[in-house]
Amino acid sequence: MMRAGLEHYLVVSFLLFSLGLLGVVARRNLLVVYMSLELMLNAANLALVAMSRFNGNLDGQVLVFFIITVAAAEVAVGLALIVALYRRRQSAHVEDLASLKL
Amino acid sequence: MSPLTLIILLPLLAAVGVAFVPRSFRLLIRFTALLSTFVPMIVSLALFVMFDTAQGGVQFGQKADWVPSLGIQFYVGVDGINVCLVLLATIVAFAAACVSWEIQQREKEYYILLLLMAGGIMGAFASLDLFLFYFFHELALVPTFIMIGVWGRGADKNYATFKITLYLSLGALIALIGLIALYQNSGLRTFDMIELARQLKERPLSTSTQQFIFPWLMFGFGILVSLWPFHTWAPLGYGAAPTAVSMLHAGVLKKFGLYGLIRVALPMLPEGAASWVHWLVALSLGNIIYCGFVAMRQKDLNLLIGNSSVAHMGFAFLGIASFNVLGVTGAVVVMVAHGLLAALSFGLTGYLYQTAKTLEMDRLGGLLRGMPFVGTVSIMAMMAGCGLPGFANFVGEAMVFFGIWKVYPMATVAACWGALVIGAVYMLRAVRVVWHGASAPIGDAGTVAWVDAPHWWRRLPYLLLLSFLILFGAIPRLLTDKIQPEVARLLPVQKQLPVPSLAVKSSPSESPKPFSPAPLAAVAVSDSIFQHPGEARHRTERNDP
Amino acid sequence: MMLQHIAWIVLFAPLAAAALIALATRRDDRLSAQISIAASAVAFAGSLILFLAFDRFELAWSWLNVGPLKVDLGFKFDALSGLMLLVVTGVGTAIHVYSFGYMQGDRSFARFFASMSLFMFSMLGIVVSNNLAQMFVFWELVGVSSYLLIGFWYERPAAADASKKAFIANRVGDFGFLLGILMVWGLLGTVRFDELEARLRTDPGAMGAAATVAGLLLFCGAVGKSAQFPLHVWLPDAMEGPTPVSALIHAATMVAAGVFMLCRVFFLLNVPDSSALPVIAWIGGGTGLLAALIAVQQDDIKRILAYSTLSQLGMMVMAVGLGGPGPAMYHLVTHAFFKALLFLGAGSVIHAMHHEQDIWKMGRLSQRLPVTCKTFLIGALALCGVPPFSGFYSKDAILAQGFEHNTWLFLLAVFTAWLTTFYMSRLVIVAFFGGPKSSGAEEAHESPGIMTSPLIFLAVPSVVAGIAGIPGRLSTQFGAAAEGAHGPAGFAALFEPFSHSPLPAFLGLLVFMLGVAAACSFYWGAKEDPLPSKLGWFARAMKDRFYFDEIYSALVRLTQETIATAAAWFDRWILSGLMVRGAHGTTELVGRALRLAQTGNLQTYALLLAFGVAWMLFYALVAR
Repeated sequence: MMRAGLEHYLVVSFLLFSLGLLGVVARRNLLVVYMSLELMLNAANLALVAMSRFNGNLDGQVLVFFIITVAAAEVAVGLALIVALYRRRQSAHVEDLASLKL
Repeated sequence: MSPLTLIILLPLLAAVGVAFVPRSFRLLIRFTALLSTFVPMIVSLALFVMFDTAQGGVQFGQKADWVPSLGIQFYVGVDGINVCLVLLATIVAFAAACVSWEIQQREKEYYILLLLMAGGIMGAFASLDLFLFYFFHELALVPTFIMIGVWGRGADKNYATFKITLYLSLGALIALIGLIALYQNSGLRTFDMIELARQLKERPLSTSTQQFIFPWLMFGFGILVSLWPFHTWAPLGYGAAPTAVSMLHAGVLKKFGLYGLIRVALPMLPEGAASWVHWLVALSLGNIIYCGFVAMRQKDLNLLIGNSSVAHMGFAFLGIASFNVLGVTGAVVVMVAHGLLAALSFGLTGYLYQTAKTLEMDRLGGLLRGMPFVGTVSIMAMMAGCGLPGFANFVGEAMVFFGIWKVYPMATVAACWGALVIGAVYMLRAVRVVWHGASAPIGDAGTVAWVDAPHWWRRLPYLLLLSFLILFGAIPRLLTDKIQPEVARLLPVQKQLPVPSLAVKSSPSESPKPFSPAPLAAVAVSDSIFQHPGEARHRTERNDP
Repeated sequence: MMLQHIAWIVLFAPLAAAALIALATRRDDRLSAQISIAASAVAFAGSLILFLAFDRFELAWSWLNVGPLKVDLGFKFDALSGLMLLVVTGVGTAIHVYSFGYMQGDRSFARFFASMSLFMFSMLGIVVSNNLAQMFVFWELVGVSSYLLIGFWYERPAAADASKKAFIANRVGDFGFLLGILMVWGLLGTVRFDELEARLRTDPGAMGAAATVAGLLLFCGAVGKSAQFPLHVWLPDAMEGPTPVSALIHAATMVAAGVFMLCRVFFLLNVPDSSALPVIAWIGGGTGLLAALIAVQQDDIKRILAYSTLSQLGMMVMAVGLGGPGPAMYHLVTHAFFKALLFLGAGSVIHAMHHEQDIWKMGRLSQRLPVTCKTFLIGALALCGVPPFSGFYSKDAILAQGFEHNTWLFLLAVFTAWLTTFYMSRLVIVAFFGGPKSSGAEEAHESPGIMTSPLIFLAVPSVVAGIAGIPGRLSTQFGAAAEGAHGPAGFAALFEPFSHSPLPAFLGLLVFMLGVAAACSFYWGAKEDPLPSKLGWFARAMKDRFYFDEIYSALVRLTQETIATAAAWFDRWILSGLMVRGAHGTTELVGRALRLAQTGNLQTYALLLAFGVAWMLFYALVAR
């Protein structure tokens, strides 16, 4: 049986990241965009954990803890913002939210 | 604590204090503003009187570390040059606070900004640390922009605000690049102007470095002083600004650039200056001649005075370009004189605008009968503006002419024409149209009942400025005796100047004494005052306990 | 305190009076006038004491001392300034007193006297200057105080314009003067007269080839102030001021300052390398002739006198140019007395005629205004050069100077003298004799005593100044060589010209008689001027002052106004428009282009961000 090497983890991480990016760029629903964003974060987490494991130090894992913590906080804030936006605009679609355009 | 620190801090602290006063306490706010500019005026007047001319050097100094790693200090002190400028700044600040009674809306914010500006201005001229000097200038500049934008007047207000903000920020930025380059290249890790000047005099920067840095300073500071052709912000900006801001900026803050040139650029970059000085002469003639002609064609009194103020700056540039004690001392006297005059002129037009609601000269006329006080002072101001003896402006301009004559005779001819004839033409035209002649009805509503500054406190700022203008004009040695030794110390040891073929070589001699048929005192440019003896250079500072 | 220090009182008393009136007493007309008159009288008394007690001395206070420029506020008292002090303060005091009557009832009475005192101060400052820079300072102050006085009735457009014109014409002259001072300072290294003189005495060629230019530039100042061609245009217009002002400015003091200055700096003009003097002489002579021609066809009594002043000043300048500052100063002194007398007399006439100035509306005033008429006649005779009146002696000194040095200028001066007699006779005949030509002339009344007494006071020196020994006093100043003629005083002086240089003296007398005869034949009993029909276009040109004003205003329009318009246009459209707004516009255009990328869509930004990151990674990892 083949042992999973660092490359495998990184390929999975890359695939997850790309899928997440695709979701962020292509999906319309803000909630789904947000979920895709989480996917990207976790792809990064995966890469960090793998690196940490194969390089034999704990820095990456420590960083992951931080990321998870911050991500939790971010989710809380982000979801609240989305809910607030939905209440105000009656829509959670990305193309409806173009007020940044001058 | 040095009295200078008091001068700087009082308006700044007052600005903070006013912020905590409820806006309905209008009298308290006004009174605070008046008091916190009046006290510095008295203090600086005392400094001016107590300044030890015989000793010279930096006096009333105070030093404290601010950012030691970069060599930035809080270093204030006055020598013969800036003791005059600090006096100017405090006088104008008090006058500006006096005329601010015209402001009716948002008084609290107005006075906060005014005091910030005043404090910044006083700081800029009292600082001897390059960084502090620049910092205080910016501190004063920001309120200027806001005040023009919020309390300004006229249709072009917004455009003028944009223009003055962009121009002055750009100028300050360019100057900053030059200053940083100077700091880096000196390798001394200090911003102490006195120290820098001294060190760089002994071990000057390489010629090519100097030639690279000087134009940044010249154009950067030049833009701040409305050097031709970067002058168009000035008339427009002063036309749109509220009276006090025009007074403070045109009178004092603008002189920052000239002061920088004299304090920083000339002593620290003498060779750079020497290779760029031709440009400075040419551009200053642009100020004097060109802006004089432009002033002739103005229909608005404030634009006329704005342009004439730009033209006057040309004399200061010319004096600096002369590169000798006489000319540079003249430039400093021009700075002081023009500061008082510009403040006075803009103060008066501000008063006129308040009364007439317009400054278009076609709609004014024959006002002298109705407003004898304001009219008389205005006419005197305009006479001072065209270089009449008796006012300080004449002394400065004459010294500049005498200073520059041996270096650039042709430029002197043009500048004399500008001062004596062009100046007279536009100033007298303004007097003729606005004050003389039969009185014209104003506006559609018919004649306005003219109000001629009825109370002594309305007259006070004008009388104050005018009396100093006349005092320094009648006894110019009050200024020159202080300025001259410092200028001599700042200026580099002269190489032989390009003396025109007309000049004769003659021997130096002592000054003639009155009552005695003095020996022939033909004094060449290389008078002993120029080659300042080295031992007089290090002077003790007098720190107050 | 030494007696010399009276000098400072002489100089500063008028200034103190002006300041006092301006600051304190301006609401009290009477008191203000008294202060001003008192100051003038004090200055006169002080001058008299100095004149009697001293021959020469010098006081100085260092006014400015920077590097190589040393300027004193000096008080240089010598024969030249002593004499001039007496003239200025003496005539000035008479005019002050006269003004008290003439200006009665004017609503700016106090302002008038403050300006007069300021003028006196400035003028005294010029006279006592011990250096060129101080002279320039007071030169300018005289300019501005004359501006204030000419424009005294500033509500009248003509007066306001005239004052402006006078100031600017003076400024043009001052421009040259300042350059001259700079040049002399550059060449000789000092501005003090005594040092300059010492320098030139040891080394007459010190100024080298620049001497001519420097001399002519200094002369420019005199051209402006003494209203010589081509800057003579301001003086007749300046008659818009009150008549005492005309007397003060146009007779005794301001216009004389130019001649005085030339005498003061004569040693600078009279150096071997310089050829400035002939130019000065010709300009002076030309102005004299030109002004006399114009005066022949003027109808306004004050304008006739103004052009006559111009003409006489031209004679003085010519005398300086011919190397005779002595005769020039001599004529200046006598002229100050009789021209002030004439102007004040004219003022008295105008006062009596209720501000009518046209001589063709006067007539037979000799009966209505006996005192004025007699004193006016004395002045006129002095002006025309009739012995024993003072004008004869001083004018003869000038003629003799011309006779010795330049025949053409001598003939020109003689012709001018003839014209002088002609137009003065015309004025006297038309205004004071013949039938009354208007109802105003029939009802005129003699002016009050306060106005006629200065006339009498001035009439005395107008008569006797010729035999008072002025040339003797002056000869100590310029030395016998430059002095020209006439030494003795008293009775011996009475016939001295006829023995010294008989031809000019007799020729002077002859042209006087011819002039009177010609004027009598034309104007005795005439109702209107017969000359225009006889001379045709030339008379018209004389009346219209040879169109100088028109030519100048066209020139100014062509040059200055065009340049100003062009500069304003350039400022507005090129600098503010093209450059500034151009920079602004370019920035804005770029901004607009970049704005297209800002869709506002979150996902576009995210995509761009991703591309950016990918691009950077590519560079960081692969392309290295």
